[in-house]
Amino acid sequence: MKVKISEKLDDLNSLLSEIKGASSEIGAVVIFVGAVRGTGRDGGRVLRLEYEAYEEAAKDSLEKIIEDLKAKYGIIDAIVEHKVGSASVGEDTVYALVASKHREEGFKSIVELIERLKHETPIWKKEVTDKGSQWIENP
Amino acid sequence: MAKVKVKYFGRLRELLGVKEEEYEVGETTLADLLLKHIPERHGEVAEEWKQSVFMTIRGEVAVNRDGTPILRNYYVLVGGKSPEITYRLKDGDEVAILPPVGGG
Repeated sequence: MKVKISEKLDDLNSLLSEIKGASSEIGAVVIFVGAVRGTGRDGGRVLRLEYEAYEEAAKDSLEKIIEDLKAKYGIIDAIVEHKVGSASVGEDTVYALVASKHREEGFKSIVELIERLKHETPIWKKEVTDKGSQWIENP
Repeated sequence: MAKVKVKYFGRLRELLGVKEEEYEVGETTLADLLLKHIPERHGEVAEEWKQSVFMTIRGEVAVNRDGTPILRNYYVLVGGKSPEITYRLKDGDEVAILPPVGGG
């Protein structure tokens, strides 16, 4: 298991190699990539997103989510990286990789992981567009 | 006296213009810290602070039957755990006030 909150995400291919190395029983790796959309909530053109985190608590939250998914679905391992700081349109902001024996538990886990990340993990983002700026609350 | 560290994030950090600060308080609950000490120090944004952090009715902080204030959708952690609003602050406590999250 690896979780990282950082201004710079690691190389995705390296993360894929890393998680595949966790066990020879891995038969599927499901990957989620979050990226900055060009249109904001206010309909304006996004200039940048500004992320910040309560880092210690965010790491604890992500580790707890992964532990829960291991217990619930029997996944083998997971890696989550989340960006903090400024991110421009098209830039990757989240990498989540779930390794499992079979695809089914991987698909279920990745959905649950991202949903919980968005609602539980103490990370905040401010959207800055050509119309103004606002702190975004996940619905 | 108890010395406590308070951390702010997102819109609250922006509102108060500070990431973290220390308070020296006597016999003080978490509710006292949020309702009295913090807005006193940040008088220029005290009203906005109150409206952001607490449920309000006609501008006044809404309270439960036991008189404790009702937080809006904010979480307050002390040492990483979520205590009652009546929790009595101890020397060395780290309080984190978390607005609704927006990661991903």
